[in-house]
Amino acid sequence: MQRLKRADRAVMMAGFARMDVVALAVAMGSVFALALFSLTVALLLKGAPPGEHVGTHLGLLGVYLPGYTVSWGGSVLGGIYGALAGATLGFIWAVLWNLSHFLYIALVLIRAHWWRMLSE
Amino acid sequence: MAPPPSEMESNPPDEATLIDEKLLHATVKLNTLLFASVCGVIAALTLLLVTYASLLRGLPNPGYYLGLLGVFLPGYSVSAEGAWIGMLWGALLGALFGAIMYRVYARGIRAQVAQYLAGHGTREDIAHAVMRLHGHSLGLALGLVAALGLLVTTNWLVVRGTAAESVHAALLAQYLPGYSVSTSGSLIGAVEVFVIAYLACLLLAAVHNRVVAWRQQRAVP
Repeated sequence: MQRLKRADRAVMMAGFARMDVVALAVAMGSVFALALFSLTVALLLKGAPPGEHVGTHLGLLGVYLPGYTVSWGGSVLGGIYGALAGATLGFIWAVLWNLSHFLYIALVLIRAHWWRMLSE
Repeated sequence: MAPPPSEMESNPPDEATLIDEKLLHATVKLNTLLFASVCGVIAALTLLLVTYASLLRGLPNPGYYLGLLGVFLPGYSVSAEGAWIGMLWGALLGALFGAIMYRVYARGIRAQVAQYLAGHGTREDIAHAVMRLHGHSLGLALGLVAALGLLVTTNWLVVRGTAAESVHAALLAQYLPGYSVSTSGSLIGAVEVFVIAYLACLLLAAVHNRVVAWRQQRAVP
């Protein structure tokens, strides 16, 4: 196999490097956890006008996240849910990204092999 | 200004200038297509699952708030057929935003190539190379897409003449001070959303790259 130029190899590494599934899951889990925790805490700190509940609309996330409410306990639970949702999303994202590259490279190799067979 | 001839002879040519432009463009084009596909699939499945989750919860008024997405996605509603229309919209918009995002992110690819050439990662084989996220580029890309999204959706409400009734969109002002369902409010909101997305991406990239480095250190015997 012809040896790639160093500059070309660097381009290939920047463009085709594998995504670390665990790293993306941890990173997205951390960001999502912080996001949901902060969104909840921000509403709690702002408070609500007298006679109204805090975060009526954000609290509707409880439809999808059982037990979640706009409260101090809910902010911690929201953080845990955010971590789980972010980690799942990061995991799926990284797997799909790696899989799409793998499939593309496999397709290119099969096509090259096929053409070589035809030419021979 | 070009250096004097003697200086040019003594310095070897900069490797970054030896990059094959055709290869670089082809790589970016392919990755744009793949990233758009991944974003499209994820957005489509998310909208499908969230809609079905709303339906299956069986509330008195299932997915009233989620149904408001129909304002932006014609044909979408929280119903069995609306879920599939939503999936198509998700695929289309996910792919569009994914393509824009990767194009902006790829503007930093030269910096990454330069990093590899400078010695970080040159010892790795291509097959074992692990991606490092470039926080600044990612922040610009996601920030731009998020800001663009807020600008388009808010001004769509303004154009269709329902800005005054858009009480739910106006709730964003809880998190984005100065935001309102108006053209000027959308500009303020877009700047704030850009900053938030940018900072989130810096955090994301920092955590990601640290975990990658940690795992690689552990993998070395």
